[in-house]
Amino acid sequence: MASAELQDRSQYLSLALFSQKVISVLMEYVDENKSAKLKSALEEALNLLVQPEQPSSRRRHAAFSSYEHLRTLDEVWSTKERLEATKIVKALLRAPKDERSKSAAEKLILLFSKLQDQALWNFEQPKPVSQKVMRRLCQMA
Amino acid sequence: MSNGLAGLVHDAAVLHRFVDFLEEYCKEQKRSQSYVDASGLFFDYVEKLAQGIKRMLAKEIDRAARFPNRLPLLRRQFLTLKYYLRLLHALLKPAADAHTLTIPAPLIDLASEQIQRVDSMRNSKIVILLTPEFMYFQEPHTRIKEQATIVESFVPDAIFPSQLGFIELPYSQGPSFFTNLAIYHEIGHFVFEELTRMAHPGVQALRSATNSSLKKIFHGRQIFAIVRRIVDDWIQEIFCDLFAIRLMGPAFSFALVEILGMLGFLSRKAAVKFSPTHPASACRFAEHVNMLEEDSWWNAISDIHADQKDLLKRLSDIPRTSYRFYVDDNTLGSQSLVEAFVDFVIPAIRKLVREITPSPARAVKRFQEARQGIEDCLRAGVIPHSPSKNVDPISIINSSFCFCLTSLSDVIEKFEGHAGTSDVTKQSLWTKRLEMWTMKAVEDSQILQRFRTAQSHGLI
Repeated sequence: MASAELQDRSQYLSLALFSQKVISVLMEYVDENKSAKLKSALEEALNLLVQPEQPSSRRRHAAFSSYEHLRTLDEVWSTKERLEATKIVKALLRAPKDERSKSAAEKLILLFSKLQDQALWNFEQPKPVSQKVMRRLCQMA
Repeated sequence: MSNGLAGLVHDAAVLHRFVDFLEEYCKEQKRSQSYVDASGLFFDYVEKLAQGIKRMLAKEIDRAARFPNRLPLLRRQFLTLKYYLRLLHALLKPAADAHTLTIPAPLIDLASEQIQRVDSMRNSKIVILLTPEFMYFQEPHTRIKEQATIVESFVPDAIFPSQLGFIELPYSQGPSFFTNLAIYHEIGHFVFEELTRMAHPGVQALRSATNSSLKKIFHGRQIFAIVRRIVDDWIQEIFCDLFAIRLMGPAFSFALVEILGMLGFLSRKAAVKFSPTHPASACRFAEHVNMLEEDSWWNAISDIHADQKDLLKRLSDIPRTSYRFYVDDNTLGSQSLVEAFVDFVIPAIRKLVREITPSPARAVKRFQEARQGIEDCLRAGVIPHSPSKNVDPISIINSSFCFCLTSLSDVIEKFEGHAGTSDVTKQSLWTKRLEMWTMKAVEDSQILQRFRTAQSHGLI
């Protein structure tokens, strides 16, 4: 007798909190030159960005393969932005001490900030699964 | 409202007041009431979180003073935390209401003890929540734990207790006993979530069997995510039923028949309907009967003639080809989804449940030996007991429930006369008495067991 609604809403909050985690780590990195938590946070972010279709059991961070997460990502980031975010994360992981990395990190803060905004909005105003998707499901019968 | 530092301080003060209240509220509950252990752990977590957030607020205001360009980001951080606290806030009051005077504590203790014997669940604990909804429910905790883990990166001192589950009980049903056996199903949700979270090999195998059967039928990222969610919900319902039966035996099936019957899910038409969140009742009960037969429970209750048992059998006999999936009240969904579920997924669920739960063979034997004595006590109007040995709780519960279904009217007639058997007030009163005797018998058995354990360890 699971309450799907609460669980769905809660998934948006997970995404918002995760975005916050990435933003906080990036702020520390840009403003205070602290990078202790940078690698693990960015690896999780990369997981979110590049492996949305892989079954959660095989992923390190199991939280981001749900319909709500995929939908929020699609709503807020264009394909170009998603690719850009992936590129920045990879570059930061590769060369965190590079001079240009900090301005790239600023861009990433903005992108995750947009994602967080949308996730909070969806948490507050959850939308049901779209009719289009449901119709497609029925058509497969 | 100011967008500058003053605005941030304002937001921080609002959050500070909020967490301060939560902290004091938890302290007050612990002082004034008695709770099962798990609730205390939850209150401790909230207290630590509140203290940690207060420290974090001061730190972030300092950061804002040094880096004013970060103000909007920090305000959003406070807002995100506030949303997380909203979820905890929703759990806190029902947890506080569920002190030991308002819940069937012996049943909760029994369930907690039993799940600790389930594979990989040794440290699990259950927080009971009293809800205004007339519905049993397992509050999904995986997300809360995931969120708590993320929150730990901002508030390092607040560590969410491991293997903590949340089960909701309708507040009106707190004093009941037999209906509350439904919590075993909800505990199943908790166990399933935990096993999933820890990537238990049995759950992994189930998931991969599910994914491979679905991938042959459904294509596309979003559609697959939707279908997987539907099937995940069906899996959990069947898993939870079978899990509950393995731990509790037929008494759970009888309790569920009563609950679903009351909700109108057991008519022939409704019983074959799969919804996006639940498998058809007929499918569920077919699995009940199958499990009870394989575990020898069905044979042990062969002489019980009760409507609930007959209904269970009738529903389980409905051919599986009659099952239908409805996306909503009128829209027929994919039949191949139901077929894949029945043919490939259900066998994998059965296997998983058997793997993780202890065999009930001894429980069945004990029930057969103890049943007559328990029924004799109930018929005489006394709490079931045995002068020679400790009767185990599962025998007490199953025997009492069977007795309630078949012989309650005998007791009423004996104490109230024949007219009493058709008097609804008396029926209600004696059902309540029977439940109280059962609960007391379970509690006595637990106390005696604890005493004997302590004695065997040389502590007494």
